[in-house]
Amino acid sequence: MLSGLQLENVGVSFEATRALEDVNLHLEQGEAVALVGLSGAGKTTLLHTCNAMVSPSTGRVLINGQDLSKISSHALKIARINIGFIHQDLSLVPNLRVIQNVVSGRLGRRSLIGGARDLLFPAGDVTERVYDILTSVGIAEKIYERTDHLSGGQQQRVAIARALFQEPQFLLADEPISSVDPVRAEATIALLKTLCAERNITLLMSLHNLKLATTFFPRLVALREGRVVFDKATDTVLPSELEAIFDLTESSPVSEEARDFEDRLGGRFG
Amino acid sequence: MAGLAEATASSGQRRWILIAIVASGIWASITLDLYPALLVPGQGGLAVVTEFFSYALSPVTTYQSKVPEGTKPLAAQALLAAWHTVKFAAAAMGLSLVGGISLGFLSSYSLMIETRRGITRVIGGTIYAIARLTITLMRSIHELLWAVLFLAAFGISQLGAVIALALPCAGILAKIFSELIDETPRHAAHAAEAAGASPIQIYCFILAPQALPNILAYSFYRFECALRSSAVLGFFGYPTLGFYIAASFENLYYGEVWVYLYTLFLLVAAVDLWSGAIRKRLA
Repeated sequence: MLSGLQLENVGVSFEATRALEDVNLHLEQGEAVALVGLSGAGKTTLLHTCNAMVSPSTGRVLINGQDLSKISSHALKIARINIGFIHQDLSLVPNLRVIQNVVSGRLGRRSLIGGARDLLFPAGDVTERVYDILTSVGIAEKIYERTDHLSGGQQQRVAIARALFQEPQFLLADEPISSVDPVRAEATIALLKTLCAERNITLLMSLHNLKLATTFFPRLVALREGRVVFDKATDTVLPSELEAIFDLTESSPVSEEARDFEDRLGGRFG
Repeated sequence: MAGLAEATASSGQRRWILIAIVASGIWASITLDLYPALLVPGQGGLAVVTEFFSYALSPVTTYQSKVPEGTKPLAAQALLAAWHTVKFAAAAMGLSLVGGISLGFLSSYSLMIETRRGITRVIGGTIYAIARLTITLMRSIHELLWAVLFLAAFGISQLGAVIALALPCAGILAKIFSELIDETPRHAAHAAEAAGASPIQIYCFILAPQALPNILAYSFYRFECALRSSAVLGFFGYPTLGFYIAASFENLYYGEVWVYLYTLFLLVAAVDLWSGAIRKRLA
């Protein structure tokens, strides 16, 4: 059986809009890949397609060789249990405690009663595991705080802890650093990379920040207007290939950043 | 410019709706012969009204009538009636919450239809339609009408009285709960769904906690309503405050009436204070 995450000729349409077109992608178990592209390039749609929150209009998505569009609701639920997702908006329940938000990551693995017990009266070992994960993301002391009383950066870590507590085989992260400052952004990516490597989790992360993508990820997949422009090792990306995904003639912040990256690549090649 | 034209049209539409509501109110008042002059009581009526309200400022502390030896003091009688009123309301509220939460889940559009696909969407849609119909039936009949029906069927039965109070209350709670759940931000629910959580887990552990402050506030309000309805059950012979209010009123013992009315007022105020404290803690 084929392992890992695979997209074969995937196309996604929303009414008249083509969000993804003929996307092919294969991620091996334990691999870390950054998904780059401008806003509206299709990064979020691609991530949502990977766990069947969005159904492809054409092509297929395979998780460990299993076609997500051809499996029963129950089998899909089982498949999703193995796919963690860190959402751009964090998607936490604001008035629950940190421990409860983290525990909610494993609801799919629990029965109704078991889930209720974990959330309301967690057993000692559940609390210990949550504490360990919160320690690894650096906010163990916040375990019993109300989530909406935490800062944006701390909430981001709760979202990461929830995804890790799910014990996924794959982790999809959609701009997980969008609400934190640049210093914390770098620390967050480094932390996620380390934790995924330790647990042999396949990581696919969408990023606006080219510098972080090239610093932390050995493989880049670039999207433009729903199509994969390139999918290659970061070391082999050419400056001209960047021009294909980022419009360098505009004086937008993204273009500035792309130019900066191009300079770095130019320096390397020069 | 197209956006401005659209916004102007929408604003104009709202203005016409407001005018239509006011106009229909005036029309209904005229056809019902509702004239303010009718509020002025006649000579005899004025005397009764004056006497009744004069007792509001000086409620009695003992019975106005001669009562048999061994009868409980008036205050104790009022407290006992209040206790019965609370018991009926609490039992009805307990049943209503079970019914309201269950039917609220079944009549939530987002949980029964939006998050499902294939055959489960068809089944979910059917259950949703049946649940909505049931809720409408339950809340379209007033609790006092249910009480009359149960009284005719079972006689003076405490269970019948509790079910009569619970039925419309459960229907209203189910409607409000499902709407509160449907209006709750869906980000966390989508995240839980993406992680393999079932619809019922999403309802109980993700959406319900977010809607909880509003659900609690509305449940307390319905408890106030249940208290008032429980009191009125006394008019049918149940030992709640309404029984003593009706008896005292019929005998023109207005002082006693006010004692029972103030007891009811204190009950409702206590529930209001209690709910306020809980909501403050959850906010």
